Amino acid sequence: MTKLDDILKEIWPRVKGKHLYPELPVPICAEGEDRVGLDIKGKKITISREFVEEMSQALEESDTMEGLLDHAISHYLCCPWDFSTHLKLYGEAKDVLRDKGMAQRATDYFMDVVADTHCVSQKETPLPKIYRNFKGGIVDEAIHALYQKIWGIDLAATGYEDISRKLSRLPYLDRTRWRDSIRRFSKVVKVLFEMEEKQGGSNESSPMGDHGLEQYSSQEIEQGLKDLALDAATPSEFREIVHDFEDEILEATESKEQGMGLGPGRSIDADILYYMKLAENYLLPIRRMPTKKSGSLYPHQHVPWEAGKPYQDIDPWTSFGKIMPGITQTWRRREGEIFGQEEGIPDCIVIIDSSGSMTDPRQRLSHAVLGAACACDAYLRNDAQVAVYNFSDARSGGQKILPYSQYRKQIYRTICHYFGGGTRLLTENIEALQTEKAPDIFLITDMQITNLEVLVEYFNACKNRVTAVHIGDNKHVEAFRHSMAVRKNIEIYGVVKKEDIPRIVLGKVQDYLYKKVGP
Amino acid sequence: MRNPFLDFRSLPYEKKEIPLDRIVRAKQEIMDRVLEGYLHLVEEEVKDLVWLVEHSHVVRTYSAAVNCIRELHYDQDDIEEFCAELDSAKKIPYMISGPAGIYLSALINHAPEERIVLRPKDYDRTFHFLGYRLPESKTLIIQGNVGDFIGAGLSGGRLVVEGSVGNWCGAGMMNGEILVTGYAGQKTGEWMRGGEIHVDGSIGSLGRSRFGGKIYQRGKLVIPQELDDQY
Repeated sequence: MTKLDDILKEIWPRVKGKHLYPELPVPICAEGEDRVGLDIKGKKITISREFVEEMSQALEESDTMEGLLDHAISHYLCCPWDFSTHLKLYGEAKDVLRDKGMAQRATDYFMDVVADTHCVSQKETPLPKIYRNFKGGIVDEAIHALYQKIWGIDLAATGYEDISRKLSRLPYLDRTRWRDSIRRFSKVVKVLFEMEEKQGGSNESSPMGDHGLEQYSSQEIEQGLKDLALDAATPSEFREIVHDFEDEILEATESKEQGMGLGPGRSIDADILYYMKLAENYLLPIRRMPTKKSGSLYPHQHVPWEAGKPYQDIDPWTSFGKIMPGITQTWRRREGEIFGQEEGIPDCIVIIDSSGSMTDPRQRLSHAVLGAACACDAYLRNDAQVAVYNFSDARSGGQKILPYSQYRKQIYRTICHYFGGGTRLLTENIEALQTEKAPDIFLITDMQITNLEVLVEYFNACKNRVTAVHIGDNKHVEAFRHSMAVRKNIEIYGVVKKEDIPRIVLGKVQDYLYKKVGP
Repeated sequence: MRNPFLDFRSLPYEKKEIPLDRIVRAKQEIMDRVLEGYLHLVEEEVKDLVWLVEHSHVVRTYSAAVNCIRELHYDQDDIEEFCAELDSAKKIPYMISGPAGIYLSALINHAPEERIVLRPKDYDRTFHFLGYRLPESKTLIIQGNVGDFIGAGLSGGRLVVEGSVGNWCGAGMMNGEILVTGYAGQKTGEWMRGGEIHVDGSIGSLGRSRFGGKIYQRGKLVIPQELDDQY
């Protein structure tokens, strides 16, 4: 154990206590870059030995390490706090700067200013000593001048009076105004970036390191994408930000083929991901219906084996004779279901209209696709399977059919497909998806279907629980409502705005039918 | 049972007041008053959300704007922030470009700084009437394209536009200098009484009624000369 490790061991409990015991793993000292003091990956703080040694000429090693830890913890406790905030700040900076590299740097600097200012305003910290003794590039020097002004501490920073004056007006500690503040921050630092570019680009790293996405766990990334989807006004806004972090998101989620529908060597279909993540924000309830568990388990699908999982379910035929996480496949077993006294969730046929009268989901937020995505998400969460029938003018080939599946990417890709053109469905294709277990049917359309009467006839004859959702109102909706008025197994909902979607209850039917369904 | 929060007693929490808090509070106060002044101006001068560009209206609106900002202590940064507020329209329920430009001009003309730089290229909106009655000893530098009536009634100041201007640039200017690095629109220098306009790019057309002053295009004097027919 080296001297630095001993110092770290001694100061860590004190630093942790100072910040009211955040849930962070014990930091370590490791070989790093000379000019970068910190590296944070998955909440693990790594302090660079080289940086501490370099700073030791002017500063006590314990002060350098404590300052670096204060900085890292402030990022965790204050800004960005989570992946979602990080993405939103980046989105605002990108909107102003129109350049990925510049936007990333502006976001990093902004988050550093907020975190450091938060720390200096609330704790006793040696952070200012580090900045006083660290000589960086143009932007770093301007930021030091800013710190000097807003902290009221002499950091031996000179020049950049104009820039630091403009930057000192921003309410860094007001979380509610961060989005507005980073826009103004980006406009000001853009001048510095341009100045740096003219002088041959930046070759000085920030002493506190870069803020890559590797500091977040895959769960945080999933949650962040969900929040971003909810926050984005259009699919293209979401697409633009996700596109910029494609590699990082893929890296963080590549092992979760079933969850995110992503895999190594593939690119993200941001539009599908948008609806997938947006749907996760609206958890639709499903009425359970009488089913009976058979009690027997049977192999249902393959999932990658992970260390710690039992060996007995390993399928040697698909594992290439190897016991290795990620390569070895195990069987996931499912319980067989037959109708009986217990309650369960049936499978679902999702019928979605993607004709010309519907919104193109890649251009604007399509309520139809979002509604269908929410329905799929609800059934898949309950371990049911989903089949999709996407149609426009089915007779002339405008249709896509996906058999029962639990593979999210395929399902979402099918519901996101947009045909345009006319609207005619073929009930025989819906019939082909019927099973003995009477799956639920989820229909979403604007009801401007050329052969609506055929669909009405089909629904009049079928015994499935049908949830019909119409987008907007028109005379066809009225006709459909009128025709279905006497049917007790059909529930009709209208959606005009996305806030209407959470009102939908899947599989909600009249009580007498609910009791009658079963063998 | 031991109180689990006892450990925290040795960690007194005390939020220190840092200069940032004071700066932000003071600036917020000023910005609130600048916005209040603009809203008051719009309420007084704009009826039914309509504002007609007439000489008497412009003069009256400017006088009202000057009254609104009387006793306000602001600087160039506040003016920039006001531009950003006008652009984002988050705190301003309605932006009417004429009065907004005149109010901005009043702020610029009464700011303590002699040299003011604005960057309309950072904003989505088009600003009109910038540099209206810019007084002697003031220099206004505008980076980006701007709208109509730029430098109207210029009163001895120096207006530099690093971009293009719309129609009626320098309309009724009395004295001073306007430099445009891009092009100028129609009726440039209309009702001009004195001063100089220099345009590096093309000029849409020159004003027909002029009572003095000089207009240069790419360094060449075009007014006063017998070249009116060219435009």
